[in-house]
Amino acid sequence: MTNLFQKPQSAALAFMVAGAVWFVVGAVYGMFSAIHLVAPEFLPHVAPLVFGRERPVHVNTMLYGFVGTMLVGIGLYYLPALLKTRLWSEPLAWMAFVFWNLTVLSGPLGFAFGFTQGREYNEYVWLADISLVLAVACLIVVTALTIVNRREPQLYVSIWYFMATFLWTASNYPLGNVMWHPATGAMPGLIDSLFLWFWGHNLPGLLITPLATGAAYFVIPRVTRTPLNSHTLSLLGFWFLIALYSHIGGHHVLQSPIPNWLKTVSVVDSVSMVLPVSIVVINLWLTARGFGGRVWNDPPARLVMGGIVWYIITCIQGPLQSLPFLQRVTHFNNWTVGHAHIAMLGFGGYIALGAMWHVLPLVSGRPVYSNKLINLQFGLITFGLTGFFIVLTMAGLVQGSAWHNGETVLRVLPQLSPFMVMRAALGIFILTASLVGLANLYLTLRPARQEEPLLRGEEAA
Amino acid sequence: MKMTPAFLIVGALLVFWASTFIIVGLPSMTMKDNPSEIWRPLSPLEREGHRLYVKNGCSYCHSLFIRVNDWDIGAERIAQAGDYAGIEPAILGSERTGPDLSQEGGEHSDDWNIAHFTNPRYTTPISVMPAWDFLSRHEIQALAAYVQALGGKDADVRQKRQREWKRQAQAAYAGGVDRNIEWLHAQVPEVWRRMPNPYPATEAALQRGKRLYQQLCINCHSPIGDGNGPAQPFLGPPPLNFTILRRHLVENRYIGGIFYYQIMNGITGTAMPYFKKHLESEKIWDLANYLAVSFVGYTDANTEPRGIDASYEGEWQNPYPPPAVDQAP
Repeated sequence: MTNLFQKPQSAALAFMVAGAVWFVVGAVYGMFSAIHLVAPEFLPHVAPLVFGRERPVHVNTMLYGFVGTMLVGIGLYYLPALLKTRLWSEPLAWMAFVFWNLTVLSGPLGFAFGFTQGREYNEYVWLADISLVLAVACLIVVTALTIVNRREPQLYVSIWYFMATFLWTASNYPLGNVMWHPATGAMPGLIDSLFLWFWGHNLPGLLITPLATGAAYFVIPRVTRTPLNSHTLSLLGFWFLIALYSHIGGHHVLQSPIPNWLKTVSVVDSVSMVLPVSIVVINLWLTARGFGGRVWNDPPARLVMGGIVWYIITCIQGPLQSLPFLQRVTHFNNWTVGHAHIAMLGFGGYIALGAMWHVLPLVSGRPVYSNKLINLQFGLITFGLTGFFIVLTMAGLVQGSAWHNGETVLRVLPQLSPFMVMRAALGIFILTASLVGLANLYLTLRPARQEEPLLRGEEAA
Repeated sequence: MKMTPAFLIVGALLVFWASTFIIVGLPSMTMKDNPSEIWRPLSPLEREGHRLYVKNGCSYCHSLFIRVNDWDIGAERIAQAGDYAGIEPAILGSERTGPDLSQEGGEHSDDWNIAHFTNPRYTTPISVMPAWDFLSRHEIQALAAYVQALGGKDADVRQKRQREWKRQAQAAYAGGVDRNIEWLHAQVPEVWRRMPNPYPATEAALQRGKRLYQQLCINCHSPIGDGNGPAQPFLGPPPLNFTILRRHLVENRYIGGIFYYQIMNGITGTAMPYFKKHLESEKIWDLANYLAVSFVGYTDANTEPRGIDASYEGEWQNPYPPPAVDQAP
């Protein structure tokens, strides 16, 4: 066992495998939630399986468990690889793994029985918060000391993002989760919504986005075999992201009685988010320019590029829906749910999966069991998620327009059921994709194929 | 610009904290948590209900703030900062699969709430809310107490009205079936009592009414209108048995206006909610015709006084003789 914790890249692999498992768990809970929105009496009288308890399990398991965990694993691979060194301490990375996954595990185990702080995206109870912060602290130490002990003088852009992610999260998470109030994890009164949405939006923005951006910056130039388009654009994208992102959470409570200047700041900076996003996307696209064939024909890179496309769609939609005029119709309904899915599964999830498949042979020294299964996963998720986006956006417009015209929530409810039926059906594609991925991962790593001596990817190459 | 480790780490943290100071620090220093004029403290039972609301994820489907552009239940009170004073956490919510609850207190009677939490479809057949019957009786009562406190002092005014009328409604019900209906009808303003249904009870209209009945009424008043729907055991007074109305027509003729008025305004104090935010005029009249034809066997639709028929109306003759004619020797 001690051997395993010392083995180079073992923690990276563990994070990626855990991410693939959490994807299945999150998708199962998503499926239950989707069914319950159509058939509320499905599996009745089971306390852990009511919508109010299964939804946070779905959301948190997908965010922290699937996308977050997998992207950390990918980073733990490219960090030493790009710095031409070894991870400073493999056991410390394993400690991060344990703490991180304990937090994620507290979702299905805790929320199901009412152990939750109930604040959206800040649900984990105090002990789980502590565990996550410890995981992040371990990752800060590992990353910083790996950088210090590097043998490559230049810090590639992926390293910036990976390092900064944990610095930000270590400050962000305790603040948004109001960890100095262990019992409730909340501030008293209206101001809590500012703390809540501070982390609520920094979670995708300053945890998932930098991790996913770092992974995309790693994979795309490797696959296209071209140098990164522009160092300047990389710098601009990075610094704009942090300067603007932490301000925009207020657009979730734009129509609530928070102070007007805060609304202005959050709308202006939400719209400005178009800048860092476009810069990153343009930088990556220009890097791949002329070599689109190489990206398309490489199944992992295809997923990563898919994620970049979802990123630009998400981040054009996001700034638009922060506008008060549009929000009158789009707020409080399924439009936002559609947006959240293309952000987390589309942008974060696609890049996590693509980069995982890209990195997996390098970590394990074995080729991925089946590229066809990666393509199948791509197809299933793309069909499911595109359908989701369309169906939920339509449902949201139906709700928002009807409410705006004076219909009550109750009267519009029956109109939603055809959309919710389609959404549940499309969810089957996403659940299947998660299972196909886990199977492919298992078939790649299963011990039976372990006859030839193991080689590290770099050594083999 | 070269990204050295020191520049990366110090710079990333400096920009982050500067940015964060604006969005979290400044509000912390300037926002005051002063109560608004409707705010009042929560009782211990209500606080327990608030914990249940938070723990069970009610906030994923119910918001707790009314916007300027809202029309639905609660829209009389645009949310103000002081409404949330001291609540920890005051989860404003991001989704309205169900209605906003910031002013829910006193919207419905206590027994309606208990039935609703036990199984939301008992009171609201089209609801997709989960049944909370796995909670203990005490927990359901705590949850109901919390919901009834939403809206603060405004909710207390509504609750007082609910309880005052519940007392009267229960007294009337205790007086027997016929006395109860006389009391109910006496609460309807005079002008409505002799108002026939101005909408012809055509086949299409009755179908529309039936759909509304199934969406909104059926689990209290039952499929045959006898008031023995699944919600009935929870409610006191129980839902009205419509079939008895046959011997309580006003002047042996009129019933449409009474139906309309009671569907529109509900019967505060009983579990009968008002529907005037959900349904507009024609829908209520269609529903009234459906109740009358299906459960009373008679409707006053298109009887005198009827004025000038609307231009779309066909040559519809009311085929339903009033019961008094039936019973003539």
